[in-house]
Amino acid sequence: MKRIFSSLADGKGFDIALIVFPFAFLFVMAGLPLVYNVIMSFQEVDMFSLGSFARPFVGFKNYVTLFSQPETWPILKNTAIFVCASIAGQFVVGFGLALFFWTNFPGASWLRGLFLVSWVMPGLVVGAIWNWILSGDFGVLNYLLNTLGIIDGNIFWRSDPAYALWAVIIANIWLGTSFNMILLSVGLSAIPKDLFEAAELDGANAIQRFTTITLPMMRSTIGAVISLGLIFTLQQFDLFAAITSGGPNNASNVTQYWAWELSFRQYDFAQGATISVVMIVFVMIASIVYVRSTRHEVRG
Amino acid sequence: MSNQTDLQIALTAVNKHYGAYHALKNIDLRIAKGSFVALVGPSGCGKSTLLRSMAGLESITSGDLFIAGERMNNVPPRKRDLAMVFQSYALYPHMTVEENLTYSLRIRGVKKAEAKKAAEDVAATTGLSGLMGRYPRELSGGQRQRVAMSRAIIRHPKAFLFDEPLSNLDAALRVHMRKEIRALHDRLGATSVYVTHDQIEAMTMADHVVVMRQGIIEQQGAPLDLYDRPVNRFVAGFIGSPAMNFVPAVAGDDGRSLLLDLGDGQRLALDRPIAAGRPLIAGLRPEHLVIDPTGAGPIRLRVAAVESTGSSSYITTASKPEIVLVTNGRSPVAPGDMITIGIAPQHVHVFDAETEARIEMLTG
Repeated sequence: MKRIFSSLADGKGFDIALIVFPFAFLFVMAGLPLVYNVIMSFQEVDMFSLGSFARPFVGFKNYVTLFSQPETWPILKNTAIFVCASIAGQFVVGFGLALFFWTNFPGASWLRGLFLVSWVMPGLVVGAIWNWILSGDFGVLNYLLNTLGIIDGNIFWRSDPAYALWAVIIANIWLGTSFNMILLSVGLSAIPKDLFEAAELDGANAIQRFTTITLPMMRSTIGAVISLGLIFTLQQFDLFAAITSGGPNNASNVTQYWAWELSFRQYDFAQGATISVVMIVFVMIASIVYVRSTRHEVRG
Repeated sequence: MSNQTDLQIALTAVNKHYGAYHALKNIDLRIAKGSFVALVGPSGCGKSTLLRSMAGLESITSGDLFIAGERMNNVPPRKRDLAMVFQSYALYPHMTVEENLTYSLRIRGVKKAEAKKAAEDVAATTGLSGLMGRYPRELSGGQRQRVAMSRAIIRHPKAFLFDEPLSNLDAALRVHMRKEIRALHDRLGATSVYVTHDQIEAMTMADHVVVMRQGIIEQQGAPLDLYDRPVNRFVAGFIGSPAMNFVPAVAGDDGRSLLLDLGDGQRLALDRPIAAGRPLIAGLRPEHLVIDPTGAGPIRLRVAAVESTGSSSYITTASKPEIVLVTNGRSPVAPGDMITIGIAPQHVHVFDAETEARIEMLTG
């Protein structure tokens, strides 16, 4: 007993304890549900067999069913559009803001902190606010676009199938921009100032400095931001629930919302689990990119 | 200014303000083509600011800066054609040695093969040939330093600016690189401006030393002129190692001697007349003080400590202020001994106690 205690206090025991607790936590809270979800995607699950683990094994039947449904491909396409447009928007606006605040004008860090407010707000609240902004009849966005002469007449952002998905994308870009900006700001400030001075003396103009110093030095940060962005957008559920509920007629439905609908609205747990497994594959790819890009940090 | 073609860099009445802080005060400096100029001074004296102002990394508030006869006050750094070696080396971490070397050429649109050839030529002279494919993080401190130098050389700039380039190296390598940089300067026929806080670096490398303090140039000139005839107490104390001893003194009644305030009326002969009455400071270099074995010297003091390096010994006296003297080889005395110290009259420096300015000769 004394030996165990002393090894905990100053020996290997402490190191092992530090590793065991997070691993146990991860296994119970993340690992088991993940495995359970994968197993469920190969089983026949209904309301009656929900309570037992030993359910009939059906092989790839759930997958075959999933991909034979008419709405599957449009929803996957929506997901791809949602992810790509959201990440692109968040990254471009976030990088622009990060570069802007990097100039360090008076009050820059204070103002940058304020931007985090958007990230602190609950998704449902953000969704409610954007519902008002995007509202077809009295929305501010329509008013603005009309006044500027960009559109003629109102766009019904949330109920027009052509715009419903974009309504959520706009809200999501707003929601994720500050996170992108903060991470990119950190990456920018980690670049030693004298590299830019050296490049300037070497004859590089502002654009050349950006492409030959800033961007390559930011590679690992950019990789991390984009892969985290992919994970966060694939998680984005609140905005769909608050703004369009996936409608009209699945025009703005994406896999993460659809999985919830199937499992908890239609109680088709097997189909819900199957979609989740498809998503796990994408998140895995993003995670690998994230781990690899943070591992190859380039620092002098 | 443009007719003075032998001048590579010229500054006239240059001032630099950071808000209320006056960083450079009326700097006048002329740097001849092919010369090696060292800017030296304690930290915060403005030497780096001055260098960065030449490079264009800082803008000057007033005055004129000419480079090769052209007024450069508002010209951006990339158009000044100066190369700088940074204290941190500022190597591009995401580029190999070769890419670091060819960066400036590639920016200027030099053809790939041509840039590669230039890099190989420079690398051959600086001993980097085998390291072209390495990244800066895979190099030792000395190798990084060489890359930084090579990156400057490859451009054939109008002048090299060095910002304390050796301060991150260990002592032995620093001494070696000192000679190497100077040799390189001579071989390239380059113009170099070298910032350092180490007066030994300045003295050994430069043709022209500029001593700065609090944004002003205290004195500039050839290294040994600064050593022989420092214009004030600050320069006298800054140049020379170990530092000069300063002893409060007054002129003797005969007008040709100094009464040192070391306790009991010690008298030093001078080789020049000096006015009596006003408070003075005598400056005595440790290496000029000699122990008089006959005991007939003018200053009698007790030894407090002896530090020996083998080649020379540093003897500190128990007086107030304490006097340090250097003797060659082993120390002939031990702590506690009484010694008599003498100094040749021409080696005694005299400064005004109030203005701290050098007093050359005062009659009447």
